[in-house]
Amino acid sequence: MTASSTPAMVELQGVAKRYGEVNALHRVDLSIAKGEFVTLLGPSGSGKTTLLNLIAGMITPSSGRIVIDGRDATTLPTNRRGLGMVFQNYALMPHMTVFENIAFPLEVRRLSKAEIKRKVGEALELIQLGHVANRKPRELSGGQQQRISLARCIVYNPALILMDEPLGALDKKLREQMQLEIKRLHAELGITMLYVTHDQDEALTMSDRIVLMNGGRIEQQGTPDTLYFRPETVFSAEFIGSSNLIPGTVEIGADGAYALNTALGRFAAPAPERAMKAGEPAVLLVRPENMALAATPTPAGVDGHIEDSILLGGVVRHFVRCADGSSLIIQELNQPGRPGAHRGEAVRAAWQPQHGRLLPPAPAG
Amino acid sequence: MAQSSAHSSSASDLSPWTALLLLAPLTAVMLLILIYPLGLTVWTSLYNGRFSFDAYVELASSTLFLRVLRNTFEIAIGGTLVSLLFGYPVALHLAAQPPRKRTAYLIMVMLPFWTSILVKSFALVAVFGNQGLINQFLGVVSGGTLNVPMMFNRVGVILGMINFLLPFMILSILGSLLALDRRLILAAETMGAGPLRIFWKITLPLSLPGVLAGVLINVTLSIGMYITPALLGGRQDMMVANLVDFYTRQTLDWTAASATAVALLILSGLLVALLGKVRGASGLAGAGA
Repeated sequence: MTASSTPAMVELQGVAKRYGEVNALHRVDLSIAKGEFVTLLGPSGSGKTTLLNLIAGMITPSSGRIVIDGRDATTLPTNRRGLGMVFQNYALMPHMTVFENIAFPLEVRRLSKAEIKRKVGEALELIQLGHVANRKPRELSGGQQQRISLARCIVYNPALILMDEPLGALDKKLREQMQLEIKRLHAELGITMLYVTHDQDEALTMSDRIVLMNGGRIEQQGTPDTLYFRPETVFSAEFIGSSNLIPGTVEIGADGAYALNTALGRFAAPAPERAMKAGEPAVLLVRPENMALAATPTPAGVDGHIEDSILLGGVVRHFVRCADGSSLIIQELNQPGRPGAHRGEAVRAAWQPQHGRLLPPAPAG
Repeated sequence: MAQSSAHSSSASDLSPWTALLLLAPLTAVMLLILIYPLGLTVWTSLYNGRFSFDAYVELASSTLFLRVLRNTFEIAIGGTLVSLLFGYPVALHLAAQPPRKRTAYLIMVMLPFWTSILVKSFALVAVFGNQGLINQFLGVVSGGTLNVPMMFNRVGVILGMINFLLPFMILSILGSLLALDRRLILAAETMGAGPLRIFWKITLPLSLPGVLAGVLINVTLSIGMYITPALLGGRQDMMVANLVDFYTRQTLDWTAASATAVALLILSGLLVALLGKVRGASGLAGAGA
């Protein structure tokens, strides 16, 4: 995904981490371009934090090479990697004032008193918290503390900022504000950012590129759009957005057109990116917003009855129980005068065949 | 919160008489073994045929008492400082260990704690005495010319003292260090700080409450020390408690003995109050950790 023309800020070559018999991270290759905003997304235990800690130098890899800004950093101690890091619990020094906290990395770099004063002032201005310079961190709210911890990072202008679930401890509204704030800082300062989260919405909102992790491996990587619209595995499809997955076997017509034979019927589908063989098991993915409740027979559709309908503000979500007991999710836009769907009502879930996507079946277990 | 309010409500359910009855055994014991002897001591110091402050006036003008008092403070503060000097690195090392290893090491720290102070004192003589292990070794190495007196002098008292004081110092510092959030250290490392700067700017200031607690415990424990200076010190190393013993058993001047004991009690009480104040003020620094 990375354009080969831009130089890489971080380059992981076959990096793996084992703890005894446990593989926390299988051989991973990853390249992050300068100025890029990359998110490591995955459930807990997927290896995303291990990967971050490897880049930060808090743990050393069992094998492989880590290059940061053109320099081999595989065994370089943390304090010589020239990084910035934002922690979920802020990690502000409780015995220092806000000013002293932000000044700390500048003192490490032996800047003059006057210059420290100027730079800390600028950083506080950037996060609009100039008035709290003389307070102790615990006198501030969680959101303010996290902004201070951001300021402490950007004040010394590191080439790379690592963020470990930085918004995990904040409530939803504040989280959304901070997402925009971090995005703005990224756009203004052009610092490369590597962001770890388990929240798919956060990843979709913020990233240039999402690296989806699963079981210590990279499952798929690409732009938010790619991951949402062109997932390559069942795991990707399920982790990002919600999805309807219908298992079946592949059928290929004389004209090369793909279709899937399922317990619910035979559905035409676009050819998959990686060719499949006829008779092979596969899964058909249709996003809920690509399905609709239809009154008349449609090219692709499944009969069932409405089990429940919930209103999510701008959209309505219907849960449809099919004849074979499986259930589908349909998401429609909410509009004034929308005909009400009643529980138990017989309906047809319909979609355009080109909105379907054939995926290899999920590996057993 | 809920629990404590439940407690207080159940306590208020008791009639005052039942409450008194329940408190009576403890009150009786305290009266018998603490308040009565203490009162008797104060009384003896003030009443010698007639009521007077003569014993205290004499004490204040006694060269012996003032010298012993200076000794006591020198030894107590010196011992505490040495104990801090040795204790801090040990606590730092313990805090860095994985929990299982730390437990094993803590047992080693606590071992002298569980041994009688008499046994420890004699063991120290066996190691540091003129015929002790170290001097025997020095004698062999130097061909019999070198003998460093380390017992029955100030060095001996301090050695015996820190052997007793160290566990208290180590445990209170360790408590502070373990409460320190490791992510603060990681954050400082990512910002480029080296180990020395991290120690001076983060670890040390955040462990100060533990240091002050350790110092407080050490000073109060050592100020009333009796056996160690008696067994390991020289004639010059008499401490206030030894002076009380001297008056009680050698000169049989119980009035002077009582006045000395009361003076010691007041002095150490003042010291505790003073250090407690300092600690309260600096406690703010560690509150966030």
